[in-house]
Amino acid sequence: MATVEAHGIRARLPEGFDAHIFRRSTIGDERSYAVAHFATFPIPADTGDFGGGAVTLMRPSDIFAVLFEYGPESLGKKLFAERGMPRALQASDFRPTVLRRGLQGQAGTQWFFTESGRPFTFYAVLGAYSRRAVLVPKVNSLLSSLTVASAAATAGGGSTASPWN
Amino acid sequence: MLALVVTLTVVVVLLMVLVAGLLRSHADILRALHALGVGVGDPAGRPGATGAPSGPTPVTIGPPLPPERRSTTAPAVAGVTPGGDARALAVSGVERYTLLAFLSSGCSTCQGLWRAFASPGTLALPEGVRLVVVTKGPELEIAGEVAAKAPPGLQVVMSTEAWSDYEVPGSPFFVLVDGAAGRRVGEGVANHFHQVADLIRRAMVDARGPVEHTASTTHLDGPARESANDAALIRAGILPGDPSLYPRSLEDVFQGTAVRGAGGSPYQGTGR
Repeated sequence: MATVEAHGIRARLPEGFDAHIFRRSTIGDERSYAVAHFATFPIPADTGDFGGGAVTLMRPSDIFAVLFEYGPESLGKKLFAERGMPRALQASDFRPTVLRRGLQGQAGTQWFFTESGRPFTFYAVLGAYSRRAVLVPKVNSLLSSLTVASAAATAGGGSTASPWN
Repeated sequence: MLALVVTLTVVVVLLMVLVAGLLRSHADILRALHALGVGVGDPAGRPGATGAPSGPTPVTIGPPLPPERRSTTAPAVAGVTPGGDARALAVSGVERYTLLAFLSSGCSTCQGLWRAFASPGTLALPEGVRLVVVTKGPELEIAGEVAAKAPPGLQVVMSTEAWSDYEVPGSPFFVLVDGAAGRRVGEGVANHFHQVADLIRRAMVDARGPVEHTASTTHLDGPARESANDAALIRAGILPGDPSLYPRSLEDVFQGTAVRGAGGSPYQGTGR
Protein backbone atom coordinates (compact mmCIF):
# COMPACT_ATOMS: atom_id res chain seq x y z
CA MET A 1 0.00 0.00 0.00
CA ALA A 2 1.29 3.41 -0.96
CA THR A 3 0.83 6.40 1.31
CA VAL A 4 0.55 9.86 -0.17
CA GLU A 5 0.18 13.09 1.76
CA ALA A 6 -0.02 16.78 0.99
CA HIS A 7 -1.88 19.86 2.23
CA GLY A 8 -3.08 18.01 5.30
CA ILE A 9 -4.72 15.20 3.35
CA ARG A 10 -3.25 11.76 3.84
CA ALA A 11 -4.27 8.61 2.03
CA ARG A 12 -3.09 5.07 2.58
CA LEU A 13 -4.23 3.93 -0.83
CA PRO A 14 -5.96 0.64 -1.51
CA GLU A 15 -4.33 -1.42 -4.25
CA GLY A 16 -5.06 -0.23 -7.75
CA PHE A 17 -5.61 3.45 -6.94
CA ASP A 18 -3.71 6.40 -8.34
CA ALA A 19 -3.75 9.63 -6.33
CA HIS A 20 -2.94 13.27 -6.96
CA ILE A 21 -3.14 15.84 -4.14
CA PHE A 22 -2.49 19.43 -5.11
CA ARG A 23 -3.47 23.07 -4.97
CA ARG A 24 -4.24 25.08 -8.09
CA SER A 25 -1.94 27.95 -8.83
CA THR A 26 -3.47 31.35 -8.17
CA ILE A 27 -3.39 34.78 -9.72
CA GLY A 28 -3.51 37.98 -7.76
CA ASP A 29 -5.68 37.76 -4.66
CA GLU A 30 -7.13 34.36 -5.52
CA ARG A 31 -6.95 31.68 -2.87
CA SER A 32 -6.90 28.01 -3.66
CA TYR A 33 -7.32 25.05 -1.37
CA ALA A 34 -6.53 21.38 -1.43
CA VAL A 35 -7.87 19.10 -4.13
CA ALA A 36 -7.32 15.34 -3.96
CA HIS A 37 -8.05 13.08 -6.91
CA PHE A 38 -8.21 9.32 -6.63
CA ALA A 39 -8.79 6.91 -9.51
CA THR A 40 -8.38 3.32 -10.57
CA PHE A 41 -6.93 4.48 -13.85
CA PRO A 42 -4.12 6.93 -14.76
CA ILE A 43 -5.23 10.44 -13.81
CA PRO A 44 -4.46 12.93 -16.60
CA ALA A 45 -2.34 15.87 -15.54
CA ASP A 46 -4.91 18.42 -16.65
CA THR A 47 -7.93 16.87 -14.94
CA GLY A 48 -10.56 19.36 -13.86
CA ASP A 49 -11.43 19.73 -10.18
CA PHE A 50 -14.43 17.42 -10.44
CA GLY A 51 -13.06 15.02 -13.00
CA GLY A 52 -13.32 16.91 -16.25
CA GLY A 53 -10.99 15.22 -18.71
CA ALA A 54 -10.83 12.08 -16.60
CA VAL A 55 -14.36 10.68 -16.33
CA THR A 56 -14.50 10.29 -20.10
CA LEU A 57 -11.61 7.84 -19.82
CA MET A 58 -13.35 5.58 -17.33
CA ARG A 59 -14.07 1.96 -18.06
CA PRO A 60 -17.05 0.25 -16.45
CA SER A 61 -14.80 -1.16 -13.71
CA ASP A 62 -13.24 2.21 -12.82
CA ILE A 63 -13.74 4.64 -9.97
CA PHE A 64 -12.94 8.34 -9.82
CA ALA A 65 -13.20 10.32 -6.59
CA VAL A 66 -12.48 13.87 -5.48
CA LEU A 67 -11.96 15.36 -2.05
CA PHE A 68 -12.30 19.10 -2.63
CA GLU A 69 -11.68 21.72 0.03
CA TYR A 70 -13.61 25.00 0.20
CA GLY A 71 -12.40 28.20 1.78
CA PRO A 72 -12.80 28.98 5.50
CA GLU A 73 -15.66 31.35 4.66
CA SER A 74 -17.77 28.22 4.09
CA LEU A 75 -17.38 27.11 7.68
CA GLY A 76 -20.56 27.28 9.68
CA LYS A 77 -22.80 27.28 6.64
CA LYS A 78 -25.70 24.86 6.59
CA LEU A 79 -24.31 23.01 3.55
CA PHE A 80 -21.28 21.95 5.59
CA ALA A 81 -23.12 21.21 8.81
CA GLU A 82 -22.39 17.50 8.71
CA ARG A 83 -19.42 16.70 10.94
CA GLY A 84 -17.03 14.17 9.51
CA MET A 85 -16.44 12.53 6.16
CA PRO A 86 -18.72 9.63 5.14
CA ARG A 87 -16.88 6.36 5.64
CA ALA A 88 -19.33 3.67 4.57
CA LEU A 89 -21.45 4.42 1.54
CA GLN A 90 -24.23 2.20 0.26
CA ALA A 91 -24.86 1.18 -3.32
CA SER A 92 -28.11 3.13 -3.12
CA ASP A 93 -26.12 6.32 -2.47
CA PHE A 94 -24.96 6.30 -6.08
CA ARG A 95 -27.34 7.51 -8.78
CA PRO A 96 -27.00 8.16 -12.50
CA THR A 97 -28.46 11.63 -11.96
CA VAL A 98 -25.74 12.74 -9.58
CA LEU A 99 -23.04 13.43 -12.12
CA ARG A 100 -21.18 16.58 -13.04
CA ARG A 101 -21.11 15.27 -16.56
CA GLY A 102 -23.91 12.90 -17.44
CA LEU A 103 -22.05 10.10 -19.18
CA GLN A 104 -24.29 7.16 -19.94
CA GLY A 105 -23.89 4.20 -17.67
CA GLN A 106 -22.02 6.06 -14.93
CA ALA A 107 -23.29 6.94 -11.48
CA GLY A 108 -22.19 9.42 -8.86
CA THR A 109 -22.55 10.51 -5.29
CA GLN A 110 -21.66 13.78 -3.53
CA TRP A 111 -21.39 14.70 0.15
CA PHE A 112 -20.67 17.99 1.91
CA PHE A 113 -19.18 18.03 5.40
CA THR A 114 -16.63 19.55 7.74
CA GLU A 115 -13.64 17.44 8.63
CA SER A 116 -11.00 18.56 11.14
CA GLY A 117 -12.44 22.06 10.98
CA ARG A 118 -12.15 22.26 7.20
CA PRO A 119 -15.10 22.35 4.74
CA PHE A 120 -15.00 19.67 2.06
CA THR A 121 -17.03 17.91 -0.53
CA PHE A 122 -16.50 14.29 -1.52
CA TYR A 123 -17.61 13.39 -5.05
CA ALA A 124 -17.24 9.91 -6.51
CA VAL A 125 -18.10 8.46 -9.90
CA LEU A 126 -18.57 4.79 -10.75
CA GLY A 127 -17.70 3.68 -14.27
CA ALA A 128 -20.87 1.60 -14.43
CA TYR A 129 -23.99 2.00 -12.33
CA SER A 130 -24.71 -1.66 -12.98
CA ARG A 131 -21.51 -2.63 -11.15
CA ARG A 132 -22.19 -0.56 -8.03
CA ALA A 133 -22.38 -3.63 -5.81
CA VAL A 134 -18.76 -4.42 -6.67
CA LEU A 135 -17.42 -0.88 -6.91
CA VAL A 136 -18.92 0.75 -3.81
CA PRO A 137 -16.86 -1.41 -1.40
CA LYS A 138 -13.73 -0.14 -3.17
CA VAL A 139 -14.92 3.43 -2.67
CA ASN A 140 -15.41 2.64 1.01
CA SER A 141 -11.88 1.21 1.19
CA LEU A 142 -10.63 4.50 -0.16
CA LEU A 143 -12.74 6.53 2.29
CA SER A 144 -11.49 4.52 5.24
CA SER A 145 -7.91 5.25 4.18
CA LEU A 146 -8.29 9.05 4.21
CA THR A 147 -7.30 11.30 7.09
CA VAL A 148 -7.44 15.08 7.20
CA ALA A 149 -5.32 17.31 9.41
CA SER A 150 -6.62 20.57 10.80
CA ALA A 151 -5.96 23.79 8.95
CA ALA A 152 -3.59 24.92 11.68
CA ALA A 153 -1.51 21.78 11.35
CA THR A 154 -1.51 22.15 7.59
CA ALA A 155 -0.38 25.76 7.69
CA GLY A 156 2.70 24.79 9.59
CA GLY A 157 3.41 21.79 7.39
CA GLY A 158 6.82 21.22 5.84
CA SER A 159 7.62 21.99 2.27
CA THR A 160 8.41 19.24 -0.16
CA ALA A 161 10.60 21.52 -2.19
CA SER A 162 14.28 20.87 -2.49
CA PRO A 163 16.45 22.91 -0.13
CA TRP A 164 18.31 24.15 -3.21
CA ASN A 165 15.18 25.83 -4.58
CA MET B 1 55.60 -59.86 -4.85
CA LEU B 2 55.85 -57.52 -1.89
CA ALA B 3 57.36 -54.83 -4.09
CA LEU B 4 54.40 -55.14 -6.49
CA VAL B 5 51.90 -54.71 -3.69
CA VAL B 6 53.71 -51.69 -2.33
CA THR B 7 53.90 -50.13 -5.78
CA LEU B 8 50.21 -50.67 -6.44
CA THR B 9 49.33 -49.22 -3.05
CA VAL B 10 51.35 -46.10 -3.74
CA VAL B 11 49.72 -45.71 -7.15
CA VAL B 12 46.25 -46.06 -5.68
CA VAL B 13 47.00 -43.48 -2.99
CA LEU B 14 48.33 -41.07 -5.58
CA LEU B 15 45.24 -41.54 -7.71
CA MET B 16 43.02 -40.89 -4.70
CA VAL B 17 44.88 -37.68 -3.98
CA LEU B 18 44.51 -36.66 -7.63
CA VAL B 19 40.75 -37.34 -7.62
CA ALA B 20 40.29 -35.44 -4.36
CA GLY B 21 42.14 -32.48 -5.83
CA LEU B 22 40.01 -32.50 -8.96
CA LEU B 23 36.80 -32.62 -6.95
CA ARG B 24 37.92 -29.72 -4.78
CA SER B 25 38.86 -27.70 -7.85
CA HIS B 26 35.45 -28.41 -9.36
CA ALA B 27 33.75 -27.22 -6.18
CA ASP B 28 35.76 -24.00 -6.24
CA ILE B 29 34.76 -23.37 -9.84
CA LEU B 30 31.08 -23.93 -9.09
CA ARG B 31 31.29 -21.62 -6.09
CA ALA B 32 32.86 -18.89 -8.20
CA LEU B 33 30.22 -19.27 -10.92
CA HIS B 34 27.46 -19.07 -8.32
CA ALA B 35 28.95 -15.88 -6.93
CA LEU B 36 28.80 -14.43 -10.44
CA GLY B 37 25.11 -15.29 -10.65
CA VAL B 38 25.55 -18.17 -13.05
CA GLY B 39 23.87 -21.01 -11.24
CA VAL B 40 22.98 -24.56 -12.09
CA GLY B 41 19.27 -25.28 -12.39
CA ASP B 42 16.39 -22.81 -12.12
CA PRO B 43 17.50 -19.77 -10.12
CA ALA B 44 13.88 -18.96 -9.30
CA GLY B 45 13.46 -22.35 -7.64
CA ARG B 46 16.74 -22.41 -5.73
CA PRO B 47 15.94 -23.59 -2.18
CA GLY B 48 16.84 -21.29 0.64
CA ALA B 49 16.97 -18.25 -1.58
CA THR B 50 15.90 -15.27 0.51
CA GLY B 51 13.49 -12.75 -0.97
CA ALA B 52 13.18 -14.78 -4.14
CA PRO B 53 9.52 -15.18 -5.00
CA SER B 54 8.31 -18.03 -7.13
CA GLY B 55 7.73 -17.44 -10.83
CA PRO B 56 9.88 -16.67 -13.85
CA THR B 57 12.78 -14.26 -13.56
CA PRO B 58 12.50 -10.90 -15.30
CA VAL B 59 13.85 -10.38 -18.78
CA THR B 60 16.94 -8.19 -18.59
CA ILE B 61 18.82 -5.82 -20.84
CA GLY B 62 22.23 -4.27 -20.51
CA PRO B 63 25.07 -5.54 -18.34
CA PRO B 64 24.39 -8.32 -15.80
CA LEU B 65 22.71 -7.09 -12.64
CA PRO B 66 24.11 -7.88 -9.20
CA PRO B 67 23.07 -11.41 -8.17
CA GLU B 68 21.67 -10.20 -4.84
CA ARG B 69 18.87 -8.47 -6.77
CA ARG B 70 16.29 -11.25 -6.64
CA SER B 71 13.00 -9.56 -5.87
CA THR B 72 10.27 -9.27 -8.49
CA THR B 73 7.89 -7.36 -6.26
CA ALA B 74 6.25 -4.26 -7.71
CA PRO B 75 5.14 -1.81 -5.02
CA ALA B 76 3.23 1.33 -5.85
CA VAL B 77 5.23 4.44 -6.65
CA ALA B 78 4.49 7.37 -4.35
CA GLY B 79 6.24 10.69 -4.12
CA VAL B 80 5.89 14.25 -5.33
CA THR B 81 5.75 15.88 -8.73
CA PRO B 82 8.44 18.41 -9.68
CA GLY B 83 5.80 21.04 -8.97
CA GLY B 84 5.38 19.82 -5.38
CA ASP B 85 2.08 17.97 -5.66
CA ALA B 86 1.71 14.58 -4.01
CA ARG B 87 1.42 11.70 -6.48
CA ALA B 88 0.91 7.97 -6.16
CA LEU B 89 0.72 5.55 -9.06
CA ALA B 90 -0.67 2.02 -8.93
CA VAL B 91 1.49 -0.47 -10.82
CA SER B 92 0.04 -3.70 -9.38
CA GLY B 93 -3.56 -4.77 -9.29
CA VAL B 94 -4.20 -3.02 -12.59
CA GLU B 95 -4.78 -4.39 -16.07
CA ARG B 96 -1.82 -2.74 -17.75
CA TYR B 97 1.93 -2.74 -17.96
CA THR B 98 3.89 0.11 -16.42
CA LEU B 99 7.34 1.08 -17.66
CA LEU B 100 9.26 2.81 -14.88
CA ALA B 101 12.15 4.88 -16.17
CA PHE B 102 14.55 5.75 -13.35
CA LEU B 103 16.37 8.86 -14.51
CA SER B 104 18.15 11.79 -12.98
CA SER B 105 18.51 15.40 -14.04
CA GLY B 106 22.29 15.31 -13.98
CA CYS B 107 23.20 11.99 -15.60
CA SER B 108 24.63 12.55 -19.08
CA THR B 109 23.22 9.33 -20.50
CA CYS B 110 19.76 10.33 -19.32
CA GLN B 111 19.71 13.49 -21.46
CA GLY B 112 18.96 11.59 -24.66
CA LEU B 113 16.17 9.72 -22.93
CA TRP B 114 14.61 12.93 -21.58
CA ARG B 115 14.67 14.26 -25.16
CA ALA B 116 13.16 11.05 -26.52
CA PHE B 117 10.28 11.30 -24.05
CA ALA B 118 9.47 14.74 -25.46
CA SER B 119 8.20 12.95 -28.58
CA PRO B 120 5.97 10.20 -27.21
CA GLY B 121 4.65 9.39 -30.67
CA THR B 122 8.10 8.19 -31.73
CA LEU B 123 8.53 5.84 -28.80
CA ALA B 124 6.19 3.21 -30.29
CA LEU B 125 5.17 1.94 -26.87
CA PRO B 126 2.76 -0.99 -27.17
CA GLU B 127 -0.81 -0.18 -26.30
CA GLY B 128 -1.50 -0.63 -22.66
CA VAL B 129 1.99 0.31 -21.48
CA ARG B 130 2.13 3.33 -19.21
CA LEU B 131 5.38 5.28 -19.07
CA VAL B 132 6.38 6.87 -15.77
CA VAL B 133 9.68 8.62 -15.06
CA VAL B 134 10.91 8.27 -11.49
CA THR B 135 13.69 10.45 -10.15
CA LYS B 136 15.01 10.57 -6.62
CA GLY B 137 13.11 12.74 -4.17
CA PRO B 138 13.55 16.50 -3.73
CA GLU B 139 16.00 15.89 -0.91
CA LEU B 140 18.42 14.40 -3.46
CA GLU B 141 17.33 15.94 -6.74
CA ILE B 142 16.73 19.51 -7.83
CA ALA B 143 13.02 19.72 -8.56
CA GLY B 144 13.45 22.74 -10.81
CA GLU B 145 15.88 20.92 -13.06
CA VAL B 146 13.66 17.86 -13.23
CA ALA B 147 10.74 20.10 -14.14
CA ALA B 148 12.80 21.75 -16.86
CA LYS B 149 13.65 18.40 -18.41
CA ALA B 150 10.20 16.83 -18.14
CA PRO B 151 8.14 17.49 -21.28
CA PRO B 152 4.44 18.33 -20.91
CA GLY B 153 2.25 15.29 -20.42
CA LEU B 154 5.05 13.05 -19.16
CA GLN B 155 4.26 11.56 -15.78
CA VAL B 156 7.17 12.27 -13.44
CA VAL B 157 7.34 11.28 -9.80
CA MET B 158 10.18 12.21 -7.48
CA SER B 159 10.59 9.38 -4.98
CA THR B 160 13.75 8.15 -3.31
CA GLU B 161 11.70 5.38 -1.73
CA ALA B 162 10.81 4.01 -5.16
CA TRP B 163 14.51 3.80 -6.06
CA SER B 164 15.00 1.72 -2.93
CA ASP B 165 11.89 -0.41 -3.49
CA TYR B 166 13.02 -1.31 -7.01
CA GLU B 167 16.68 -1.78 -6.05
CA VAL B 168 17.78 0.69 -8.70
CA PRO B 169 21.56 0.49 -9.13
CA GLY B 170 21.83 3.81 -10.97
CA SER B 171 20.38 5.88 -13.77
CA PRO B 172 19.24 5.30 -16.40
CA PHE B 173 17.46 2.12 -15.35
CA PHE B 174 14.18 0.64 -16.56
CA VAL B 175 11.67 -1.68 -14.96
CA LEU B 176 8.63 -3.15 -16.69
CA VAL B 177 5.82 -4.20 -14.36
CA ASP B 178 2.97 -6.52 -15.30
CA GLY B 179 0.10 -4.97 -13.38
CA ALA B 180 -2.16 -7.99 -13.64
CA ALA B 181 0.52 -10.35 -12.31
CA GLY B 182 1.75 -7.76 -9.81
CA ARG B 183 5.43 -8.31 -10.51
CA ARG B 184 8.41 -7.09 -12.50
CA VAL B 185 8.80 -8.84 -15.84
CA GLY B 186 11.71 -6.90 -17.28
CA GLU B 187 14.48 -4.64 -16.09
CA GLY B 188 17.90 -3.36 -16.95
CA VAL B 189 20.11 -0.56 -18.16
CA ALA B 190 19.57 1.07 -21.54
CA ASN B 191 21.18 4.11 -23.13
CA HIS B 192 18.70 4.39 -25.99
CA PHE B 193 14.99 3.90 -25.99
CA HIS B 194 15.02 1.34 -28.81
CA GLN B 195 16.77 -0.99 -26.37
CA VAL B 196 13.92 -0.46 -23.95
CA ALA B 197 11.35 -1.14 -26.66
CA ASP B 198 13.07 -4.48 -27.28
CA LEU B 199 12.94 -5.24 -23.56
CA ILE B 200 9.21 -4.54 -23.51
CA ARG B 201 8.55 -6.79 -26.50
CA ARG B 202 10.57 -9.68 -25.07
CA ALA B 203 9.14 -9.33 -21.60
CA MET B 204 5.54 -9.19 -22.81
CA VAL B 205 6.03 -12.25 -25.01
CA ASP B 206 7.77 -14.02 -22.14
CA ALA B 207 4.96 -13.13 -19.76
CA ARG B 208 2.25 -14.33 -22.12
CA GLY B 209 3.98 -17.65 -22.69
CA PRO B 210 4.65 -19.45 -26.00
CA VAL B 211 2.04 -19.51 -28.74
CA GLU B 212 1.42 -23.26 -29.01
CA HIS B 213 -0.02 -23.33 -32.51
CA THR B 214 2.94 -21.76 -34.22
CA ALA B 215 6.01 -23.95 -33.91
CA SER B 216 8.35 -21.35 -35.35
CA THR B 217 7.53 -18.76 -32.72
CA THR B 218 8.16 -21.22 -29.90
CA HIS B 219 11.48 -22.21 -31.42
CA LEU B 220 10.57 -25.88 -31.08
CA ASP B 221 12.60 -28.52 -32.76
CA GLY B 222 12.51 -32.25 -33.37
CA PRO B 223 9.59 -34.28 -32.00
CA ALA B 224 8.15 -31.28 -30.13
CA ARG B 225 7.94 -29.26 -33.33
CA GLU B 226 6.33 -32.17 -35.15
CA SER B 227 3.74 -32.57 -32.40
CA ALA B 228 2.96 -28.85 -32.44
CA ASN B 229 2.52 -28.89 -36.22
CA ASP B 230 0.28 -31.94 -36.02
CA ALA B 231 -1.87 -30.24 -33.43
CA ALA B 232 -2.19 -27.13 -35.60
CA LEU B 233 -3.23 -29.17 -38.64
CA ILE B 234 -5.81 -31.09 -36.67
CA ARG B 235 -7.29 -27.86 -35.31
CA ALA B 236 -7.57 -26.66 -38.90
CA GLY B 237 -9.48 -29.77 -39.80
CA ILE B 238 -6.68 -31.44 -41.73
CA LEU B 239 -6.46 -35.02 -40.53
CA PRO B 240 -3.87 -37.66 -41.43
CA GLY B 241 -4.44 -38.86 -44.99
CA ASP B 242 -6.08 -35.62 -46.10
CA PRO B 243 -5.50 -35.20 -49.89
CA SER B 244 -4.16 -31.66 -49.33
CA LEU B 245 -1.17 -33.21 -47.65
CA TYR B 246 -0.22 -35.09 -50.86
CA PRO B 247 -0.18 -32.58 -53.77
CA ARG B 248 0.39 -34.16 -57.16
CA SER B 249 1.26 -30.96 -58.99
CA LEU B 250 2.02 -27.34 -58.41
CA GLU B 251 -1.58 -26.61 -59.33
CA ASP B 252 -2.61 -28.48 -56.18
CA VAL B 253 -0.41 -26.20 -54.12
CA PHE B 254 -1.04 -22.86 -55.83
CA GLN B 255 -4.67 -23.26 -56.73
CA GLY B 256 -6.04 -20.36 -58.73
CA THR B 257 -2.85 -18.36 -58.50
CA ALA B 258 -0.73 -19.94 -61.22
CA VAL B 259 -0.62 -17.95 -64.47
CA ARG B 260 0.94 -19.61 -67.47
CA GLY B 261 3.03 -17.55 -69.85
CA ALA B 262 3.94 -18.34 -73.43
CA GLY B 263 6.53 -20.82 -72.32
CA GLY B 264 4.01 -22.63 -70.20
CA SER B 265 5.71 -21.79 -66.90
CA PRO B 266 3.28 -20.71 -64.21
CA TYR B 267 5.82 -18.19 -62.90
CA GLN B 268 6.14 -15.92 -65.92
CA GLY B 269 3.50 -13.48 -64.84
CA THR B 270 0.98 -12.24 -67.35
CA GLY B 271 2.66 -13.72 -70.43
CA ARG B 272 0.44 -13.62 -73.53
